[in-house]
Amino acid sequence: MNLATTRTLNARRAGDQPRRWLVIEVALMSWRNLVAVFRTPEAMLPPLAISLFFLVIYDSTLGRASSFIPDLGANSYLGFILPLSIISASLAGAGIAAQNLVREIESGYFDKLLLTPISRAALLLGPIFAGAVILGIQASLVMAVGLLLGLEPSTGLPGLLAVGGLAILLGTGFAGFTVSAALGSGSAAATQGASFLFFPLTFLAPTFVPLELLDGWLSTAARFNPITYVLQAMRGLMNSGWEAAALWQAVAACLILAVAMYALAAFALRVRTSRK
Amino acid sequence: MNQSGVLVDQLEKTYPGPVRAVDGISFEVAAGEIYGLLGPNGAGKSTVVKVLTTLALPTSGTAQVGGFDVRTQPGEVRRIAGVALQEIGLDPVMKSLEMLRLQGRLFGMSSGEATRRAHELIELVGLSDATERRIRTYSGGMRRRLDLALALVHQPQVLFLDEPTTGLDPASRRDLWAEVKRLNRELQMTILLTTQYLEEADALADRVAIIDQGRIQLEGSPAELKAGVGSESINISFRNRELAEQARGVLAQLAAEIQRDRETIRLYLNRAAAAVPAVVRRLQQANLEPLSVTLTQPTLDDVFLKATGQRLAAPSGMEATQ
Repeated sequence: MNLATTRTLNARRAGDQPRRWLVIEVALMSWRNLVAVFRTPEAMLPPLAISLFFLVIYDSTLGRASSFIPDLGANSYLGFILPLSIISASLAGAGIAAQNLVREIESGYFDKLLLTPISRAALLLGPIFAGAVILGIQASLVMAVGLLLGLEPSTGLPGLLAVGGLAILLGTGFAGFTVSAALGSGSAAATQGASFLFFPLTFLAPTFVPLELLDGWLSTAARFNPITYVLQAMRGLMNSGWEAAALWQAVAACLILAVAMYALAAFALRVRTSRK
Repeated sequence: MNQSGVLVDQLEKTYPGPVRAVDGISFEVAAGEIYGLLGPNGAGKSTVVKVLTTLALPTSGTAQVGGFDVRTQPGEVRRIAGVALQEIGLDPVMKSLEMLRLQGRLFGMSSGEATRRAHELIELVGLSDATERRIRTYSGGMRRRLDLALALVHQPQVLFLDEPTTGLDPASRRDLWAEVKRLNRELQMTILLTTQYLEEADALADRVAIIDQGRIQLEGSPAELKAGVGSESINISFRNRELAEQARGVLAQLAAEIQRDRETIRLYLNRAAAAVPAVVRRLQQANLEPLSVTLTQPTLDDVFLKATGQRLAAPSGMEATQ
């Protein structure tokens, strides 16, 4: 049999199996990752527990000394500090996408997936979507605890949904960074380390006092930190009401972060999956 | 070339270092054939598989799987090739049916088709009792079998098995051999397997290539290869290597070829039994006392020794064939 005939035969055979839509592939991989996350709750619970712990500690220690903060509204300190807990839960949650990916790489399953016709993008988007779902759940839980502690958000339920949306947007952007670390290092320890970078970032921001009260280098650093804008927008929603400018700034900050981090992730994916 | 065979021509693969893992290898696997790459760890077997399955790019040379070039048509190769790598790639928190279904879906099956195929394969590899358990709890043999099932989901024409029985107990090894033979016989599947077990190559492969230091040293059917090393040999062991080396000198004129491996020397000659008295006499004259004298029919082990100058050390759990 000559080569041309061979090719046609094989091409037809290969063509019997239609190419999957990207959406379906991403859905399949997201489902797979969610199953894996729910079967390893030990990865998910500590960051959530820490967020709640800080919420309670900050509220009860600093809450009484908060008279210097203007515009606290009806909620006193709780509405001011709750966004910090939500953000740290969502940033820690971003590590979950990367942990899934790195477990795939370490177990060798990632290589097996590369041998299927799956699109490279789905390999990345699956864990990230799953991570977004998880951090949405975590943000909701933190807010639920806030409500139990007596939070009365001035924008009501829609405001809380917006806060959740911002948390997911920020966390998903940051996940671009943690998955880059996972793809680049292929090591769980390095990925874990990269995930902890969020910790200092949450303090280079108007974490405990409003931005206007910061000065010097901290003020400059805070102005370049996307977390600053998300924090301010969330506080506005909790304590004062809908402020279009603050919301747009927060969304823009998240998008800029996401674009930069996903460019990095796309590059890391390319390096990881290119044949050497 | 054949529709579902493998063609490798002057394949070279160099890793940064530089490490020449594969140093100009050429071979051809006919459709429906079981072809074995036999060699020790680090011989380059896995690298050949990685190149053929599109996980690595060749440094130079060409390779085709089912008529598709691994360099320029990786997608086509992936669709017709099934692969079970040496490092079993399974997610420990998943369950077997989930992994098989997902694999089917990724190869374009509908949900129903993928489920049907998953059950079929679970049955085939004998894991029906373990579908509700996470893979974390599976034994090495069960993981191998699931890995094989995953490689078969899309009904590949060419199956690559990289050291499929490494780490398996003898019973699981024999089960897997039976399975490989069945796939080949009933589905006419072309199978390329790598192994460091002589017994495995002997039992499964229609043709064997002995590979060492990135090169094919010898190729042929197990029977041809064994015939090629001469009919028989006399093995004589001594207390230490020095004595063995002395004996080698003393016996030099008695055999066409003598090799020493640690404390044992091996004389290749025809009608070995008839030559034993002369050999023993000569050793007595030289005052060299052997620990044991045995006669052996040639095995693939001998072929390997002859082709590479060293014995293929049998990893624990597996005796070299006698």
